[in-house]
Amino acid sequence: MSLLTIVIKNLRHRRTRSLLTVVGISVGIAAVVALTGLANGFQTSWEETYRARGVDLIVTRVTSRTALPTPFPSTVVDTLRALPGVTAAGGVMADLMSIEDSPTMLVTGWETNTFLWKHLRIDQGRLPDTEREPVVMLGAITAEALKKKVGDPVQIDTERFTVCGIFTSEALSENGAVVMSLGSMQALTSRDGMVSFANMKIDPALGPDGVRRLRETIARMFPNFQSFDASQVSQANIAVQVSKAMSLGTSLIAVAVGAVGVMNTMLMSVFERMHEIGVLLAIGWRRRRIMTMILLESMLLSLVGGFVGIAIGLAALGVLEWTPVLHGRIAPDASPLVILMALTVSVALGMLGGLYPAWVGARMSPSTGLRHE
Amino acid sequence: MTAPPPLIDARNLTRTFDNGAVTALGGVSFTVAEGDFVSIMGPSGCGKSSLLNLIGALDTPTSGQIHFAGRDLREVRDLARFRSETIGFVFQSFHLLPTLTALENVQVPMLETSLDRAARRAHAMALLHAVGLDRRLHHLPTKLSGGERQRVAIARSLANGPRLLLADEPTGNLDTASSQVVLDLLTRIHRERGMTIITVTHDAIVASAAARIISMLDGQILSDSAGSAAGGK
Repeated sequence: MSLLTIVIKNLRHRRTRSLLTVVGISVGIAAVVALTGLANGFQTSWEETYRARGVDLIVTRVTSRTALPTPFPSTVVDTLRALPGVTAAGGVMADLMSIEDSPTMLVTGWETNTFLWKHLRIDQGRLPDTEREPVVMLGAITAEALKKKVGDPVQIDTERFTVCGIFTSEALSENGAVVMSLGSMQALTSRDGMVSFANMKIDPALGPDGVRRLRETIARMFPNFQSFDASQVSQANIAVQVSKAMSLGTSLIAVAVGAVGVMNTMLMSVFERMHEIGVLLAIGWRRRRIMTMILLESMLLSLVGGFVGIAIGLAALGVLEWTPVLHGRIAPDASPLVILMALTVSVALGMLGGLYPAWVGARMSPSTGLRHE
Repeated sequence: MTAPPPLIDARNLTRTFDNGAVTALGGVSFTVAEGDFVSIMGPSGCGKSSLLNLIGALDTPTSGQIHFAGRDLREVRDLARFRSETIGFVFQSFHLLPTLTALENVQVPMLETSLDRAARRAHAMALLHAVGLDRRLHHLPTKLSGGERQRVAIARSLANGPRLLLADEPTGNLDTASSQVVLDLLTRIHRERGMTIITVTHDAIVASAAARIISMLDGQILSDSAGSAAGGK
């Protein structure tokens, strides 16, 4: 028999309470896993969007603090294209728009005859021929959601377009998007000659130092603009930041509720067992061992709750991935790091929730404990 | 060569509660030599349990001193370790951990020692054998009779080889037959191990098992005399 035997038997003795505490903790940890996985997935899908297009550098206006950047003149793209080390550049305009009866979707306009289109695998139809052709290409998920095929009309905002092609992309977010030529997008949003991103390909021979110098050049030429690589642009994106902040905030609340639950359980357990603790102190147990016993009980409860919560969180992510809103747009990203974080949080939660009850139990005098029958 | 100091040397012990409103002990002095079997007898509320708590280092006196084998208990920094290594407790209500079997309960005090798991288990089995509970090793306290529970508690009190065994109303919750078994066991432990035993009781029959009886009333010692078992020692 060891201390752990006593700890496990104590928890099993108060089966219902232990079970309810585990449920409480697991809900909190499941929320942490699911929300963090969703937020990470959201960020990853943004990064993938650029990587799939082969974009090395993205230039936007510095002042952009909205979900999508403020447009700027497309002449900036022409200037960037001419810079040494830049092998290709294309203007992009993006906006969230209502399409027929469906929820708001990401609609993007890409400059025709640029590298931006090359990564698309065309399942049906073709690319837009000219900048002003009133046609759109639908990502496979969008086509399925809208129940459209090549040649069908589609109403975007106030304009009517024809579906000229259906594509699939390595970037999940693009499969749930609508793409048209930049000129058509500018006309649709009444922003002629404007773009919201300049996407650039850089000569690999430039190396990290060359890229750094190029970015410094861009910063000097366009003081109100900033250049990012794919991961930076997703991190700087306000929508990604908001989703991460919401995930963190909700997770913290869930964890705080869990910690209070553990503390409540362990405090009740200590008050119920004052006599038993008095006996243990009387027969020679040191206060440190009493503390260890109570902390082990709370940490074990939390750890079990953590494992159950991780399982629930992963299952919830699996279900969420197939909901119409997320399917094909965001792949929830519950990496081993998220699992490790959730386990760490659950152990910390047990430690936090058990600390005060352990202190209460350990500071008791043996004679006081023995008086509690 | 000087004689060894008494195992217990209590000097003018007082213990009050509620800021002096209640006096449990009002200046008690006595000594107990190593190997004595002493009963502290008196009616309920006479202060005998308070005295036992002080001797067992579970509580500290309001005034006065206790010397254990010549060592002032006020100078003992780690009282838990002192209790673990020196004193065995037997309580009226047994105070076994309800979730643990008899064998596990006896091992509980040994968790504070350096014995490994196998040694703890072997020692606990030997102790339960000594109190005649070989066949009840894996029973939970709820599955044992009162007498059996008290025998498990006695085995637990011996787990760390104490110099002093303190028994607070050890037969208080037992029927006559079980009481006799427990008293016989304590007497045998005293005789075979030469262990110092102090029992607290309100029962004259239980007290008579000891070689010496200290009678108390209202927090004072009324008498300190040889018990009926004195001749048999």
